[in-house]
Amino acid sequence: MQTTELLENLSQIFRKVLKREDITLTESTTARDVDGWDSLTNMLLISEVEKAFGVRFTFRDIVKLKDVGDLCRAIITKRQP
Amino acid sequence: MHTSDWINDIITSANTHISRPAMVIEEKTYTYGQLLGQAWDICTTLCTQQADVIGIVAENCMETYASILAVLFSGKTYVILHPDYPAERNRLIARQADIRLLLYSKKRDVLPPDVEMDSFCTNSRLYTAQPRVARPRVASDVPAYIIFTSGSTGEPKGVPISRDNLNAFYTAYRKLGWNLDETDRMLQMFELTFDVSVVSFLYPLAVGACIYTVPQSGMKYLNVLDIMERHQLTFAAIAPSVLRLSRPYFPEVNLPHLRYLVVTAEATDVSLLADFRPCIPQAEVVNLYGPTETTIYCTSYPMPLQGCKQHSGMAAIGKPFVGMESLIAGEDGQPLPAGQTGELWISGPQVMKGYWKSPEKTAESFMATPNGKLFYRTGDLCCMDADGDLIYCGRKDAQVKIQGFRVELGEIEHQAKAFYRHTCNAVVLPILDKEGNCELHLAVEGDGANGTHELESYLQERLPSYMLPKHIHFFASFPLNANNKTDRKTIKQNIENHANN
Repeated sequence: MQTTELLENLSQIFRKVLKREDITLTESTTARDVDGWDSLTNMLLISEVEKAFGVRFTFRDIVKLKDVGDLCRAIITKRQP
Repeated sequence: MHTSDWINDIITSANTHISRPAMVIEEKTYTYGQLLGQAWDICTTLCTQQADVIGIVAENCMETYASILAVLFSGKTYVILHPDYPAERNRLIARQADIRLLLYSKKRDVLPPDVEMDSFCTNSRLYTAQPRVARPRVASDVPAYIIFTSGSTGEPKGVPISRDNLNAFYTAYRKLGWNLDETDRMLQMFELTFDVSVVSFLYPLAVGACIYTVPQSGMKYLNVLDIMERHQLTFAAIAPSVLRLSRPYFPEVNLPHLRYLVVTAEATDVSLLADFRPCIPQAEVVNLYGPTETTIYCTSYPMPLQGCKQHSGMAAIGKPFVGMESLIAGEDGQPLPAGQTGELWISGPQVMKGYWKSPEKTAESFMATPNGKLFYRTGDLCCMDADGDLIYCGRKDAQVKIQGFRVELGEIEHQAKAFYRHTCNAVVLPILDKEGNCELHLAVEGDGANGTHELESYLQERLPSYMLPKHIHFFASFPLNANNKTDRKTIKQNIENHANN
C-alpha cells in the first residue's frame, strides 16, 4: 500500500473517531496539530487502525510513534509477511 | 505534635546530596547542586522585588521547578499559569491572585497581549553551588501557593495553602512510614496546576531521591508507564486514568523495581488495580485521598491484595492522616453513626483558612461543630465502617472529575449560556461512555441555529480542554420536573437513549 493511500485511509479513521470533518493527515502531522487527539482518543484511534489494517501494536510500538509518518511506517512494516 | 519544616529538610538534604541526581527531565539529568543553585539565584532576584504573588509558567523544564523552590525559599506565594490554558482564563487568575511578576523559561505569552506584567526569564542563569543569600524570614501563615479550581460562577476559585498547612501535611505524610532514601527514583506525572505535583516534587527532594518528570505533550499516559519501566522507578503516584487507558497493554508491562504505587486524584477502580498487580509484583499500593483545600492528601488506605474494601467498585479511602479529624455529616449537619452515608467533613492543621478573597464561598464551605472545631465540607459522600475506615461513595453535588481534574459543571454551563447572551438554558451532563470514561455532554435549549462551530470555538477560548464538552445536543425545550426545575435526569436519559439507537 502506498503512503498516500494509507494517509487517506487514516484520515477517514481519524474523522470518524474524532467526529471532525476537517482532518487531513500528512506524514508530519502530530497529536498537537489535531484537535481532540489526546491520550484518551489515541487508544480508540489505535484500536480502529489495528482493526482496519489487521495489525497489532505493542505498548513499546505506540510509545515510539512521534507523528503520522511513524504510524504509516509501523503499519507498512507490520503488514509485511 | 512536633511539626517538621519541609523546606529546611530539603535544604539539608540538598547540601548532603549536592552532586547526586535530583531530577531527570526529557532524559537530561540535573544534580541537587544545579537545581538548588538555580533556585537560590532566582530567589536572590525575587528578594529584590516588591511583588508578593509570583506567577510561574508551567513548563517541563528544570527552571520551572527551580522557580517553585525559589518562591518557597523567598517567603512569597506562587501561582501556576498553564500555557495550554486559554489566555483569558489565565488573565482571570492573574487578576484575582494579583500576580505582579511572571517567571518563565521559554513561554512568555500565557496572558493576553494587553496585560501588562513584569516578567523574568529564568534561563541563562549562572549556577552557583552554594546559597548566596541567607534564607529570608518567612511568615508561616503566608500562602506557599494558591491553586485555582473550577468555580460554579464562572470565576475560578483560589485555594491558598500556607506554609503551616504544608508543614502539617509533610509531618503527617512522613508518618505513613515510607522507606525511601537517596537511591530511590520517583515519578512526577502531574500538571503543576494540580496539587499532587507539589508532593511528587518536594517529597523526593527531602529524602535525597531522584525525580522523573513526564512530558505533558504527546501520549502522556503511555509515557508514564514507559518512563516507569525504562528508568526502573521505585515510587510512583499516578491517577487511575493512566491505568484505565493502558489496560490493553498490561501483559507487556513489567515493573519489578516498583516498591510503592500511590493511586490518587480520582476514585480508584478496584478491578483495574487487581488487573495491574501482576505488573508490579513488589509494590505496596496505597489509595490517597484529599481535596485541594485540605492540602494534597488527608486520608490513606493501603490496598490489600485480597479483600480490598470498596463501594460500587471504588476503593475505600481509609483513615485520616495523623493530626486530622473526619466526621460523616447528615443533611442536618449532625454526625452520623458508623455505617450510614453522609458528607465527609475534615478538620485539622492541613485545612486551608479560607478561599482567596472570597469570604462568601469560605462561609459556604466551612461548618463549626458545637465544640468549636471548624470543619471543611468536602462535598464527597462517605460512610465509615466498623474498623473506622472511610468508604468513598461518590460526589454530593454536580462536581465531577475529568481525567483527574475537578470540574464544576456550572462553570461550563455558565460559559455556554454566556455565548447565547443568557437567552437560553444549557446544562452539562457527565455520561459514561462504553469504556467507562466520563464524558461531558452539553445540552442547549434551542434549535442550534447559530451553529455548533461558533459555540465550540467560544468555549475553546475560555475553558481548558478537559472541560470542553465532547458532544453538543439541542433540545427544542427542556423537560421540567415536579418542582418546575430543568429535569436533568430526563435530559440525560434522552441523550443516552439517542446514543443507544
